[in-house]
Amino acid sequence: MDGARSELGPDDQVIVDLVPMVRKVVGSRIRDPHLVDDLVQETLVRVMAAHSRVEGDTMAPYAAVTARNVVASYARRNDRARARAHLLAHGDIDSSERPGDSLLRQEDRSIVAAALARLPAAERDILVAHEVNGDDTRTLAATRDTTPGAVAAQLARIRAKMRVEYLLVKENLEPPTDRCRAVLRALSAGDRRRQRELDTGAHLLECDCCALVSAGLLDRWSASSSDDEMRVPVARDADVVTARQTGRQVAARLGFSPTDSTLIATAISEIARNIVKFAERGEIVISHVSTGGSDGISIVARDVGPGIPALEQAMRDGYSTYRGLGLGLPGARRLMDEFDVVTEVGKGTTVSMTKWHSARRRPGDNEN
Amino acid sequence: MPSPELPGTSEPLRVSILTQGQFLIVSIHTALDDTQMTRLQEDLIEQVGRQRSRGIIVDVSTLDVLDSFATRTLTQLAHVARLRGAETVVVGISPEVAIAMVQLSLQMSFVHTALDLEEGLQRLGELTGALDEAAFLGTRSRG
Repeated sequence: MDGARSELGPDDQVIVDLVPMVRKVVGSRIRDPHLVDDLVQETLVRVMAAHSRVEGDTMAPYAAVTARNVVASYARRNDRARARAHLLAHGDIDSSERPGDSLLRQEDRSIVAAALARLPAAERDILVAHEVNGDDTRTLAATRDTTPGAVAAQLARIRAKMRVEYLLVKENLEPPTDRCRAVLRALSAGDRRRQRELDTGAHLLECDCCALVSAGLLDRWSASSSDDEMRVPVARDADVVTARQTGRQVAARLGFSPTDSTLIATAISEIARNIVKFAERGEIVISHVSTGGSDGISIVARDVGPGIPALEQAMRDGYSTYRGLGLGLPGARRLMDEFDVVTEVGKGTTVSMTKWHSARRRPGDNEN
Repeated sequence: MPSPELPGTSEPLRVSILTQGQFLIVSIHTALDDTQMTRLQEDLIEQVGRQRSRGIIVDVSTLDVLDSFATRTLTQLAHVARLRGAETVVVGISPEVAIAMVQLSLQMSFVHTALDLEEGLQRLGELTGALDEAAFLGTRSRG
């Protein structure tokens, strides 16, 4: 070690010569002398690391710039730490780099490159011009003979596409059907109208590939829609409990009374059980609805099961195919204000039910 | 044996079954799914025989809902228990859960109900005619 260091004598001298200048740059921005020492050290370490890549006579300006950057990033770190001071547990998690991080970044870069390569050339160019080169939408619009708004909309569409391709490359999946990409793009763009047109919910239940990829896409929207819409996958007994508890929470948040919340939770329990009993898997979507001054809670239970061959009978009290009480569907209907079943034999069943906020019903007046 | 477990099931059932004289007192700690309800039912039926119990009290105040399946399970339990000489009292049905049960037209045949554990014990005492004074008063004073 010592031998190696003495060989590098002249190079070390270059660094040592930089110290007063670096100290001056840092000292003019930071008051605490100990902190100045720390940051000077950090700067020198970085300059030494870059030594071989920097020309001898540009060493001084390079060191000055590095010193300024070190001070700036310290200030940022400090600000962030102050902003997060109340989050005891999360303090410094992302400021320290873990060993695998650079490897992950590199892998990420190659995924991004592969995803970019899948976009059409024109789209790739405009995305790179905007995101990497920093061209604003006005410049892009001028060169393409269009309006900034149109460019922004196009960019949003390309980004949605890019997210889909990124996830597909990352998971190393090729969508099995023609519909997959359209569905995934609609989810990625958060386009509710298009999602309805494509019936994305049903597709996600059928298609394992899309179900996997969509998890990454839906995360993006969960922050904006989590208050109003909750999705619970239902496949096992335990999911029935999760679904009805989620329903109760949403109902309570929407201002339903404890009694109504319990009615809603009970109705969810009944229809979620039907999914577990008759279909392999399904999902329950709980959301807030409002139309014409009244608002309420909507529950949609969708499955890809065998469908209900005798819907008329199934809706009647006491009809049961698994020795239950036969109260599942008719019971849920009595607990809610609106109730609708769409079923197709061999494809699946969708139960939609709504409870309105204004309709405060008492036990006994359950006939509409 | 604090938490009953059936052979072959790894997850402990979050239910405690206490023996109070000739009575079994079942307290459920969390919402139960259908499989857990069924396990509880089987376990209780087995214990009624083993402990020669005359009565069962099931406290359902922590159950979030009593839907058709939960009701059916409790009803079956009570029916089997009666055939084996024990009465079943369900206590702790909250007003919200009761209203939901009424709207669902759920019947609890074979099952007696009482407002809370204390009333439930008293009810069981009356029903079985075997007022186990020690057990009954013991619980009361701890109340």
